[in-house]
Amino acid sequence: MRLVTMEPKKCVGCRNCEYACSYNNNGTCDSKQSNIQVNFYPKEGVCIPLTCMHCDEAWCLNVCPAAAISRNEEGAVLVDQSRCAGCKMCMLACPYGNIHFDTAKQVSRKCNLCGDEEPNCVNHCIATALNYEEVEDMDAGRGAFDTIIVKKLQDGGDQ
Amino acid sequence: MHVVIIGNSDAGLSALEAFRKHDKTSKVTLISKEGGIAYSRVLLPYYLRGKIDYDNFFIRKQSYYNQMNVKYIEAGVDQVDDQAKRLRLSTGETLNYDKLLICTGSRAMKPPIPGLDQEGVYHMWTLKDAEALASYFKEGNRVMVLGSGFVSLQAAWAALYKGLDVHIIELASRIMPTVLDQKGAQLLTDQIQKLGAKLSVETMTERVEKTPEGTFRVHTKGNEPFEVDFIIVGTGVRANIGLVQETAVETDRGILVNPYMETTAKDIYAAGDVAQGPTTFGDKHMIHALWPTAIEMGKVAGANMAGQTQAYEGSLNMNTTQMFDVTVSSMGLFNDGMGDRVAVLDGEDFGSYGYVKIVYDGDHIVGITSIGSSDLVKLMGKLRPVIRKKQKVNLEPERLGAFLHLQIANEASVMKI
Repeated sequence: MRLVTMEPKKCVGCRNCEYACSYNNNGTCDSKQSNIQVNFYPKEGVCIPLTCMHCDEAWCLNVCPAAAISRNEEGAVLVDQSRCAGCKMCMLACPYGNIHFDTAKQVSRKCNLCGDEEPNCVNHCIATALNYEEVEDMDAGRGAFDTIIVKKLQDGGDQ
Repeated sequence: MHVVIIGNSDAGLSALEAFRKHDKTSKVTLISKEGGIAYSRVLLPYYLRGKIDYDNFFIRKQSYYNQMNVKYIEAGVDQVDDQAKRLRLSTGETLNYDKLLICTGSRAMKPPIPGLDQEGVYHMWTLKDAEALASYFKEGNRVMVLGSGFVSLQAAWAALYKGLDVHIIELASRIMPTVLDQKGAQLLTDQIQKLGAKLSVETMTERVEKTPEGTFRVHTKGNEPFEVDFIIVGTGVRANIGLVQETAVETDRGILVNPYMETTAKDIYAAGDVAQGPTTFGDKHMIHALWPTAIEMGKVAGANMAGQTQAYEGSLNMNTTQMFDVTVSSMGLFNDGMGDRVAVLDGEDFGSYGYVKIVYDGDHIVGITSIGSSDLVKLMGKLRPVIRKKQKVNLEPERLGAFLHLQIANEASVMKI
């Protein structure tokens, strides 16, 4: 299926994706209201954008005690906020921190792969760090994460 | 082959779905004591608080059982005969099985305090309990909540939220011993009292008597009696293991299972709150009685009953809930005295999270407990695989955020590296 892929080396930390997502969610440009999060380590000079990967084995979906999380025909994992009790078990289940809490509605929210052509975050990425594309064999040929970034993150910016 | 699953909740359904993934044709019978469509116990306090509608209790559709090609029987199971491979049902009928999965869960217990066995005293454990309690959850009503564990405090929070006068009585010296450490318990205690509930620890309830007006007078040791309109008892649960007495199924507090969810009797499996199984930390037999554990155990049991060979990686205890306007969570070995050192985080990376304590043992993280914002739960989610896989974490606690993002970037297939 088509997913949002993320390329940290290209990300410039402009947060346009967050604003686009937030705007799509509730008409604000507030990073905290976004389902995609740019994890910015300024001292190290590293940006890691993160959004839902719509896992094949979606643990959030399996564990939801309110049957509020399901998968649509395209394969996207969705939260039905009208069923969500706000128990946060999905947030505990997601190993990537990609389910967020809507404090106004007191329910979970996550990426729903919005947009007709491509999701808003991808559409507004100025650095082509985000792409909406088929991911089938991305694991093939995968080496270790960029060694420079690894070193920066492990050692911290001051060293 | 005839597979019988006893239990219509998280473990049983998870097992059924895993079984059907691998075996679409074998005859499967599901037996439910409570009857009706599967509902979620986790949702009881959310319903009483008015967060969800009654209809949302139900986590499967009526058509589900047909779709899963399963015969559904509403009955209790009184006795398992593991020699004859036969069940005796509460209806007097018998049922033969080739493979049996026991997901009978647990039942709420009352402490031996005189006066608790009468109308107006409830647990918050079953759908029937919720139906009975709903009419009491009206502004101005007074409730005593006996016990201060996870379930009790969720009930207390729901009542307080709905405008009831809430008095929580705890025999022990502090609240939530299985979910919070000492410091966390104190912080939550302060929060509970700040929001207006009464909370008395180290308080022994001697007896409860009904007044002519139908209210209850509660007598606690060394205190003036007080009056309430109804009582919720949340002082613990006990696994439903009676049905395997006189069988080769070994029991302790629950039914002992190995990593394959097999009991000590041939072709009998157990999963969920009734099962005492392996943990992340190497315990062979422990009851965690948690929704995620039940789902995981059910999945393993179902696959193995369908001829697969799956071993459970072990249960990692985890709890999270929103109560008294804060998020309360914990995971793993988080309590006082566990691990060899702790890090209490309130640095830049952790913002205004509240109280977060991470427990280390050597170069591993073994647990975390927290009270504060909902973002904490995301941190815990990211830590879960790190704790489970016993990954080395050589970094300073302040660098944990970066460490976790590095793990994710390394693992996630949608991350281009």
